Amino acid sequence: MGKHKTFCGSGDHAISRRGFLGTAAALGTAAFADMTQLNLLSNPALAGELKKQQKRVILLWLAGGASQVETWDPKPGAATGGPFRAIQTAMPGVHISELMPRMADRMKHTLVIRSLNTKNADHGGASKLMMRGRRDEANVKFPDLGAVVAREMGRADSKVPDYVTFYTQTEGRGMAPGDAGFLGSRYAPMELTTNNMPENIRKVDGISELDHQQRADLRDLLSKQFAQGRTSPTLGSQNEAYQRVRGLMSSEALFDITKESDKVRDMYGRGQFGEQTLIARRLIEAGVPFVRVARAWWDSHGQNFETHQEMVPELDQVMAALIDDLKDRGLLEHTLIITLAEFGRTPSINPSLGRDHFASAWSCSLTGTGVKPGVYGKSDATGNKVAEGEVDAAKLFATIYSALGINPHKNYYLGARPIPLVEPGTEPITEVLA
Amino acid sequence: MANPDKLKLVKDLSHKAIAFSIARVPNSNRVYFGCSDFKVYEADVSASKFEPKDLYAHGSYVTGVALAGKALISGGYDGKLTWYDTDSKKVIRSEEAHSKWIRGVFASRDGKIVASIADDMVCRLWDAESGKPLRELRGHAEKTPHGFGSMLYAAAFSADGKYLATADKVAKIKVWEVATGKSVAEMEAPIMYTWDPVQRLHSIGGIRSLAFTPDGKTLAVGGTGKIGNIDHLEAKARIELFDWAAQKRLVEYTSDKYQGIVNHLEYAPDGSWLLGAGGANEGFFIFIDAAGKKTLRGEKVGMHVHDVASSENAETVIAAGHNKLAIYEMKG
Repeated sequence: MGKHKTFCGSGDHAISRRGFLGTAAALGTAAFADMTQLNLLSNPALAGELKKQQKRVILLWLAGGASQVETWDPKPGAATGGPFRAIQTAMPGVHISELMPRMADRMKHTLVIRSLNTKNADHGGASKLMMRGRRDEANVKFPDLGAVVAREMGRADSKVPDYVTFYTQTEGRGMAPGDAGFLGSRYAPMELTTNNMPENIRKVDGISELDHQQRADLRDLLSKQFAQGRTSPTLGSQNEAYQRVRGLMSSEALFDITKESDKVRDMYGRGQFGEQTLIARRLIEAGVPFVRVARAWWDSHGQNFETHQEMVPELDQVMAALIDDLKDRGLLEHTLIITLAEFGRTPSINPSLGRDHFASAWSCSLTGTGVKPGVYGKSDATGNKVAEGEVDAAKLFATIYSALGINPHKNYYLGARPIPLVEPGTEPITEVLA
Repeated sequence: MANPDKLKLVKDLSHKAIAFSIARVPNSNRVYFGCSDFKVYEADVSASKFEPKDLYAHGSYVTGVALAGKALISGGYDGKLTWYDTDSKKVIRSEEAHSKWIRGVFASRDGKIVASIADDMVCRLWDAESGKPLRELRGHAEKTPHGFGSMLYAAAFSADGKYLATADKVAKIKVWEVATGKSVAEMEAPIMYTWDPVQRLHSIGGIRSLAFTPDGKTLAVGGTGKIGNIDHLEAKARIELFDWAAQKRLVEYTSDKYQGIVNHLEYAPDGSWLLGAGGANEGFFIFIDAAGKKTLRGEKVGMHVHDVASSENAETVIAAGHNKLAIYEMKG
């Protein structure tokens, strides 16, 4: 049976929660001890129930700052508009750049926000802001979106990682690391920076499976003895991380795209971005709640149009493939694809035919679960200012959390201090929530 | 006789749009230029007040204008070639010439043949008067080695019109026999193309300009050097000279002073020097000797220069660029 059929999402396979739990129990703990084999979910009832319960996020992080004019918010005819045409999309009255014909055909799945004013046009500060939705305070390091989703959507019994991030290029990587902030290392990401396969997760050949298990048991025993009489979040976090190691060690297959058909691989494209996004789909399909795929580097101070001619068609192909693939597998309605950067690019064109950093009126997109497709907000005729529906980082994050069913006003606690998930007083864009 | 030592700015003419291409009416001060506002303009650059007249529009940036007799032929990123009769002042023909961006339009010196180059990686030759397509020159790869769409940036006719050179983003150069369409030489200048696989995963550069010596024996190739940070055009301007018949590189010239891309190359009428013009955030003129060994003169220009149109004796040089035209003289 092909994987499409395994994850067909058909109502024919629907079971109740009680039925799901019963099925899971019948499968035994092994099922949840290792969620890393896609074919383990060949039980359609189990797969269907998982889909209902768990929302997932794939963040396509356009590191360096993609131009909104050459993607989601074209300005044809304006002096700032650049050379690309705007094309009609499947959403009546909505036009995007001609560089994105595939996404134009799929706009009925996508919400574009054209009115981001995030006020920070410095790579480092803006990356942190747009990964977290807020600025760190002197004594509080906030978790990023991936860590929050890992915390909220991850399952305690899951042995797959809760948060995986790909960032292969070196430029900007240090400015936008995955960061669990005060949530601790339990929610820190598995970071892949050198290739598409996690390093050092294979058991050393000289150690038998029995030895490996016995070592884990010994570590567990010593840890428990050490923990007696001690209470420490760090200690707990450390122990949880160890408990997950064995699961992670068996997750290697998820990163192996040779297990996908040539047709699927071609659909995503054989480049790094396409391949990593395909892995992201495999990961969320197996239960990983949050995957970031960083595509660096869009910082086109010179030759902006040449750069976007290379990079936007690739983004178009990858986004379209991801949408189609998730839809085919019945996963799109449970997955939120976020296309976001640290900022956009200036409408004005500099002498090197480049566009510079710009955070005053830029765009992002949300596709899939929890949002109504269409366009929210508007920039002015030249793209220099927000004309309608200004959205800052906090409001965007409140909207994302709401789309995922997470109460954005929920508090975490640092000791006794309540820490709200988003900036106090921030409301989501209710008009765009499904 | 034009003398680069005598080069001086006569005047700057501000314009509301970026001028990408310019053609000068022989023995006059009249120019036609194509711009980022999609329009083609006519102007008298000697007039006391610079008042460009808007003639017609393309559907995107106008990146090539060439005069062939009374016909002005323009091309743009809309893929169209438009013929404009400069006597009747009417558009007489418009062709869907290419499926992708037209990067330049060039007329043979006798004005009989026009060449258009585009990102469909095809060079098309046209009968300048009738607009009839003559032949297609295909041979530049459509994709870069890294799977992205390539770009066909540059072309130049030899002075006798027998040969046409073309060059692309990945710095491959081809010389074609115009009468037959046969490829007669292939060369490359790989330093002019930068692919960054580690830091940024995209590319920059390419060959942006070509010029044959008046005797047709040497081909000059313009672009930029290998770029470390491809966010910017931060490498030094670069020119290479080839004995194209032997397919052999003769000289690699790197400016010691000016950064950016060489967008335009032209030889002195007697072949005694070569002018390279271009820029990054600022612009430059670089004059080098015919052997390509020595910088004769460098001049900072107050704009990134995209194209140049010179008088017959090269004593007047009109540069088109970022929101400006600039008139220079170098009367010996």
